[in-house]
Amino acid sequence: MAAYENRNAMIDHSRSNRPSWLRSLADSDVAVGWLFTLPFLVLWVWWFLYPFAQSFLRSFQDVSFTALNDATFIGLQNYIQILNDPEFYQAVLHSLQLVVIAVPVQTLLGLLMAVLVNQKMKGQGIFRTVFFIPYITSQIAVTTVFMMLFKKGTFVTKFFTLFGFEDVTWFADTRYALLFVSILFIFQQCGFSMIVYLSGLQEIPRDLYEAGQMDGASKWAQFRYITLPSLKPVTFFVVSVATLLGFQIYDQIAAISRYGALGSPAGATSTVVTYFYQHGIRYMNIGYGSAAVVLFFFIIMFITFLQKKWLGDKE
Amino acid sequence: MQANKRFTQLLHYIVVLLLALVFFLPFAYTLYTSFVTMQDVNKLAGMPHWTIDNYKLFFTNDAYNVPKWFLNTVIMTGLVIIGSLIINPMAGFALAKLEFAGKRLIFWIVVATMMVPYQMILIPVYVNMAQIGWLNTFAALTVPFLYQCLYIFMMRQFFISVPNEFIEAARLDGLTKMGSFWRIVYPLAKSPLITMSILAFAGTWNSYLIPSTLANNPDQYVLVVGLNSVKDMFFENTPLIMAGVVLSTLPILIFFFLFQKQYVEGISSSGIKG
Repeated sequence: MAAYENRNAMIDHSRSNRPSWLRSLADSDVAVGWLFTLPFLVLWVWWFLYPFAQSFLRSFQDVSFTALNDATFIGLQNYIQILNDPEFYQAVLHSLQLVVIAVPVQTLLGLLMAVLVNQKMKGQGIFRTVFFIPYITSQIAVTTVFMMLFKKGTFVTKFFTLFGFEDVTWFADTRYALLFVSILFIFQQCGFSMIVYLSGLQEIPRDLYEAGQMDGASKWAQFRYITLPSLKPVTFFVVSVATLLGFQIYDQIAAISRYGALGSPAGATSTVVTYFYQHGIRYMNIGYGSAAVVLFFFIIMFITFLQKKWLGDKE
Repeated sequence: MQANKRFTQLLHYIVVLLLALVFFLPFAYTLYTSFVTMQDVNKLAGMPHWTIDNYKLFFTNDAYNVPKWFLNTVIMTGLVIIGSLIINPMAGFALAKLEFAGKRLIFWIVVATMMVPYQMILIPVYVNMAQIGWLNTFAALTVPFLYQCLYIFMMRQFFISVPNEFIEAARLDGLTKMGSFWRIVYPLAKSPLITMSILAFAGTWNSYLIPSTLANNPDQYVLVVGLNSVKDMFFENTPLIMAGVVLSTLPILIFFFLFQKQYVEGISSSGIKG
């Protein structure tokens, strides 16, 4: 508002003697519209559209990073090779396992935390902050800390023996490594879900609950028949964001792989992302890696489509 | 009935406290461990045994150059935020308040690009950067990231809510449409601009995939990449690594506590209400 009230002060300045064609250009929707979107468009074409098209193009080529000019068109060879590679199916399976474990848990946890901290109590703000902070810390930092905590013989691994887990170094054990990555993802992502759920909870009209109370509905019945249905669009958002991010997990796996191949130990945490990264960037096999990327892209599109169909609002 | 209510309240508190304990524990552990010696890791050592040697070592070890990494991170994050503060609101304003041929297409581009994971283009970006000699430069870490379609979308949503009368009044007073953006509308957008800066700050500061791919020379490491390599090099020295975790996380935590309110609002409004 202050800027608006100050406008009188600026009149003289803005009426400085610019040529009139420049002035009318600066007042034209078309000229300003294109000028204002130009920086974005240039960067987008240069660093998004062009590489995006290349990802598809390269996927039909036999091309290595060291001999980019010797690219040869080989049709669907890369795809056939990937689809005959058992390691690729293993990677897809791991990606799916990660999402299937982590997404429901983080969604429920986020909802639980939101409901808990939405009620008036002492230290409400502190609890919210404590739950949210993992989300804004770097994945590498969180993974590093958890690697120290889940080493054989620490109080954490000893605690988990109570639930039937063995006292081993989790990220170095082929049975536990993927679960370890899921825990990392849940730990960081549920704070985000909590915040989104909180804003959803605050938008539910108060009188719905008052009406429920008048009808003698118990707290649980109110939650089941008022809160949950009202949160359906929020849940859709939380689940789709978490699913997309779950498929893109990379940092945590790179951190636990240390000097080994991505997806260590012994490929137990290899995912579609580490698969294409390993081939495309580490082995510098550009064509093969690009084909894997394109498959990754279609998997994500397919999942998004399924979610829209199953979970989305049917209007 | 009264006893029942008391009981639920107590249960509520117990659950919150337990959850908070689980979430707080890794942070407490990190902070504590960063101040003890290697002999005292995973043991409770009294105050007299505490030391700041881990922090000193993290900064002065000959094997790597933490001050340089810190500087790299600050430059990368700073440039990305400055670019974001100019390019995104400009595009958002054009899409919200100006009528021109191609506008619908550009808006469609913004929305469609938002849905594509960055990994989709990482390999060609890496190759193109290698070809123009950008690998291990600040250009690689900043230029492609000066805009973000999510932020353009956010800014557009905000500018739509600004009444057209503001622009019309400014034009009556002699400002052009372009002038009314910079002088009237842009200052009004303080709150979404702060939100955007915070999101860009966290996203850039914490990023690992992109800097570890495009700047893999130890001299050009950013903090997060450097932290990961220190962790690998000195894996047995838990206190040293924990000091590194604290130091690389501290700036983002300070930033968070300064702008907590906008941060949380930005998160919840960037998605669903848009």
